[in-house]
Amino acid sequence: MNESRREFLRKSGGCALGMVTLATQMQHFGLMSALAQKTGKGGNSPQGGENYKALVLVFMSGGTDGNNMVVPNHNDATLSNYTAYANLRSNLAIAQGSLLPISVPRMGNLTYGLHPSLGPGTTNNGIHELWAQQRLAIVTNVGTLVRPTTKAQMTQSSHPKPYQLYSHSDQVAQYQTSISNTQAFTGWGGRVSDKLTASSNPNGLIPMVTSIAGSQLFTSGQATLPMAINDSNTSLANVLNPSGFTNSSNGGPARLTAFNDLRDIDLQSNFVAAASHVTELAMQANAALQSPGDTTVTFPNTSIGRQLRQVARLIKRRTELNVNRQIFYCQIGGFDTHTNQINNQANLLGQLGQAVRSFYDEISTQGAINDVTLFTLSDFSRTMNPAGAGTASVGSDHAWGNHMFVLGGAVAGGNFYGMNTATNGTPYPQLVLAGQDDADNGSNARGRWIPTTSVEQYAATLARWFGLAEADMASVFPNLPNFPTTDLGFMT
Amino acid sequence: MLSVGPRQTLRIYLALLVVCFLSLTAAGQLDDPDPNSPTPILVRAKNSKRVLAVPADTGARAEIVSPSRDAFAPGARIAVFVTGISLMDGEGANAFRVYAEDSRGRKYRFPVVDLYRIKSPSPTYALVFQLRDEIGYWDAPAAGDLLLRVSWRGMTSDRSRIGYGVTGGPIKDDQVPYSRLFTYSLNNGLPAKSKGLDEPAYAGYRWSGDRMRFLQQASFGATEPLDQRIRRIGIRTWLAEQFEAPYPSATNAFPDIPLKPSTAPADCDNNQTVPDVPVTCFRDTYTMYPLQAWFFREAYYGDAQLRHRVAWALGQIWVISGVDTQQSRHMIEWYKVLSNNAFGNYRTLMKEMTLNPGMGNYLDMVRSTRTNPNENYARELKQLFTIGLFMLNQDGTLQLDGNGQPIPTYDQEGVNNFTKVLTGWNFCNNGCPNSAPGVVNYIDPIIINAGRTTPGANQHDLTAKTLLAYPGSTTTNIAACTGTCDDSIASINTYATNSLEQTLDNIFYHPNVGPFVSKILIQHLVTSDPTPAYVGRVTAVFNDNGAGVRGDLKSVIRAILIDPEARGDVKTDPNFGKLREPVQLMTNVARTFNVTNAAGTGPSDGVFYSPTNNLMTTMAQTAFYAPTVFNYYSPDYVIPGTTLLGPEFALMTTGTAIARANFANTMVYNRINASGTNVPVGTAFQYGDMQALAAEDLTGGLLLDALNYKMLHGSMSTEMRNTILTAVTSLPTTSTLQRAQQAVYLVATSSQFQIQR
Repeated sequence: MNESRREFLRKSGGCALGMVTLATQMQHFGLMSALAQKTGKGGNSPQGGENYKALVLVFMSGGTDGNNMVVPNHNDATLSNYTAYANLRSNLAIAQGSLLPISVPRMGNLTYGLHPSLGPGTTNNGIHELWAQQRLAIVTNVGTLVRPTTKAQMTQSSHPKPYQLYSHSDQVAQYQTSISNTQAFTGWGGRVSDKLTASSNPNGLIPMVTSIAGSQLFTSGQATLPMAINDSNTSLANVLNPSGFTNSSNGGPARLTAFNDLRDIDLQSNFVAAASHVTELAMQANAALQSPGDTTVTFPNTSIGRQLRQVARLIKRRTELNVNRQIFYCQIGGFDTHTNQINNQANLLGQLGQAVRSFYDEISTQGAINDVTLFTLSDFSRTMNPAGAGTASVGSDHAWGNHMFVLGGAVAGGNFYGMNTATNGTPYPQLVLAGQDDADNGSNARGRWIPTTSVEQYAATLARWFGLAEADMASVFPNLPNFPTTDLGFMT
Repeated sequence: MLSVGPRQTLRIYLALLVVCFLSLTAAGQLDDPDPNSPTPILVRAKNSKRVLAVPADTGARAEIVSPSRDAFAPGARIAVFVTGISLMDGEGANAFRVYAEDSRGRKYRFPVVDLYRIKSPSPTYALVFQLRDEIGYWDAPAAGDLLLRVSWRGMTSDRSRIGYGVTGGPIKDDQVPYSRLFTYSLNNGLPAKSKGLDEPAYAGYRWSGDRMRFLQQASFGATEPLDQRIRRIGIRTWLAEQFEAPYPSATNAFPDIPLKPSTAPADCDNNQTVPDVPVTCFRDTYTMYPLQAWFFREAYYGDAQLRHRVAWALGQIWVISGVDTQQSRHMIEWYKVLSNNAFGNYRTLMKEMTLNPGMGNYLDMVRSTRTNPNENYARELKQLFTIGLFMLNQDGTLQLDGNGQPIPTYDQEGVNNFTKVLTGWNFCNNGCPNSAPGVVNYIDPIIINAGRTTPGANQHDLTAKTLLAYPGSTTTNIAACTGTCDDSIASINTYATNSLEQTLDNIFYHPNVGPFVSKILIQHLVTSDPTPAYVGRVTAVFNDNGAGVRGDLKSVIRAILIDPEARGDVKTDPNFGKLREPVQLMTNVARTFNVTNAAGTGPSDGVFYSPTNNLMTTMAQTAFYAPTVFNYYSPDYVIPGTTLLGPEFALMTTGTAIARANFANTMVYNRINASGTNVPVGTAFQYGDMQALAAEDLTGGLLLDALNYKMLHGSMSTEMRNTILTAVTSLPTTSTLQRAQQAVYLVATSSQFQIQR
């Protein structure tokens, strides 16, 4: 038992009122299992690192333009082909020859193309080649939905639609909460953790959910408060390590005692209690993060590279941290390319592809690639019709349905997944402005694809693999029953 | 149960009546009336810990009768009775909140629907609420007794039982009356002869807690001199002074940086292949460094504290960010718009922001044209800066439709229409006072059809636009410009300019603006989760400052700061207050301890980082680098596990919690040392006064009294004080500086101090 845990017990036992209020707070924040462990309950639970699984979210902040991430690279006249794409995209179109080809069984083995930045880069070969290795899947035209929605239903006021389409903050919230009909306080990562923490991580030394990108709605549950730490520029031993307490010449140990004791005082204020609780979590986690060990694969020194490297360090320590299930949140920003999209998105996707490939290789080296699944989300996709003119400054505006990447050893890769559109019987939208897949109408239509697959279907498929029980699906994903299938099939 | 017939004998049983009366005999100025609101008393049944409650389902007015009912069906309308309070004109149901906790420790908030005075000897009110959680964070409460309390103006009643469905269950009564849990231990202010004070006559009792609280809300840190000044002249006079105070300080003018070409020249590109001249050229021209350092210096030493604080708050509504806007010069003009209008009119702020070149760049308005419209600014102008997404009542609560759903203020079509109005504006790179060849003019307001001379070159959308329609709206559309707009670019520009004014008026007079802006400003200055009544009182001032003027921010700020929900020596409501954002934490501690340069010989340079330790970034709030237009945190952020809005808690993570402690460690035990050219003279906090108190009183008592007064406006609990004293007295009596540091570190890192309440 480490120092802070002993301290915790001593404090709790020392003050009846403090015990009650602290227990209350602990219950609020879902630490009852941790409390039980400290008092000797829960001894028959699984050991950490056995039957391990992790979900790693990379949120592409700002709304990445999916139209240029997954591009038709064929000339089949019966489907939207490269010519249709290039005509609509105008200055935003990626040259056909530079697309990275992928063959798609779901599309009759037609060739599509990944953005050229997803291939070899300065650190590694990128993620394109994982398609052929069937470790990379694409879920097409995913978006926020309350119910399946057709073009005709877009104009029916009685048909429930996501609130505030095309607004960053609202659409980010809906991707992170999975709930599109009303504002919600909890994220689906947090809610999955609520359901699984007691059974999967009863003795976990850190929370199930970790953000390497600050506080995020995705990571908060009713009872789950996530850990949030810096990227790999800070070692795990230092990431939550308070300074100065080891200096005995100026009263450091006594200071630490008081610092810890103060967290049990004045908790009647809900604000004070909340601040104390976060600090308490940090002190507990810090004690658990002191063991050595680092990654071996080279990661690019980008923000997303450092975030994923920090995730890999934690996964490597899964046994010491006594966790069987982990959910990670990482974020790469800058995709809100109203202008200068060609260079900016290429740069960002290059960072993404390189970092994700390093992560894939590192986890493979750790022998855990079949237990770890990385997936993407974003605010929304962007208008097919460009915004602005020129070749350097051209950009695009906020849209809707987008294409998501899923990657790992448990992924049935090398294919498209998702619901078919009514227009062409495939999961890839028909690229026609004001057409049946476009939410816009008339001559000013911009090409904002109506999603055919909901965030909840996508999330539920991942959560099922992760171990969420069928009985818990509807409470974690409240609108899921509105959709015809709850498993898109991309996880083996 | 309901007494609507013959009057029954009124019987009020106050099982727990705890009202603190402050002595009114102390000598002191009377400029400010007693800021303290009384503690509401929730009437209990006789000899019981159970609230006196009666059904109120019928809509008839309840009276206090016996017997009260013990348990109520979920969803029932219930009347409870509150006494001990004194209401202002117009103060009603929305000034109250009813909170409950169940046996699982989960907390709920029940919607208050009515309040009315009942016949009784002392003023007593029936408070009607519905037994239904209105937050929705948790599932319904567990059946059994709940602990119920009522809060009003930041003061809370004690908690009493009420049966939810049934009575009983495992819940425990409070062992200490709730109203006593928040002790006010600084009975007599500082001892009169304490050495830490310059003014021998200073006694500091009367309302001193409220003065220090006020200063935490109205400045970047309460200080003794300001406390003494307000003691002499009163809060209202001080506010009047602040509204007129010169800004920025004479010794801290806005950084004077010339506009530079977008591509750095070789001698100013941070690449010493060609040496930069001066060596700091890049930093001073192309980064946010000069603005950040200026900002902190003004916060430390400026006299116009309130304007600085309000401008900082407005800058977290009208966000632009160094993430995109890389030159301080591009951002300074934006900050001038904020500070110039901090006590001006919101309508003026709206126009100056719309035409601000930094904003135009950040939200793409300068790139939005007739043929390539960009909806970014049009959307955020409404969503984030003025009216928000949903129709609001005047007290800031959501209006709901027949299905209980919020009502959108606009739809995508609305965004498209506003986008059209805002097309065609661009930087004034020719013909304005600061236009110059080869640079983008980030100083003068953007103009319509910049550089365009013929109607054919027009960039403004001339088609008809539909504006917002709302109760009371006047102009709800703009006609297409036909005829005259074919004639000349001048007539097009006139049309576009008139359209802009019409559109801004259309937004400005939307009934949402008052509650939307007022609530966010309250959250920034006073408390994260204000009662609707508080929001409503400020909104009323926003709507009409008393002289028929709408949007007068000076009156709004005054209303926020002198409101009874803001004022008082101590607030007992567990949901009152706010987390200090990192910038407030840093500046508050700095000002408390006489911030100087590293050597202690003069003022700090305002640089709040060292090359190895960026204190701002590790605490997740780098000044002028909001991650997105949604600011560092959302005003709607709810603290996980609570029913409580706490915007700044979005920045409170395991990582930043430790970073806050490490900030204190750096500034208590060390300093930001001068370092090369980037940290010219450094920053240190001075603890000499505290050391003197540690030397004077070897028990540490004076030291703790001083810190209680300076940092916690006298609200430090006895338990907290004793905990810190234990750590202080573990050090030798001769180690006076270390004793002072020990105490300062522990207060500065305490959760009690992280919260401004």
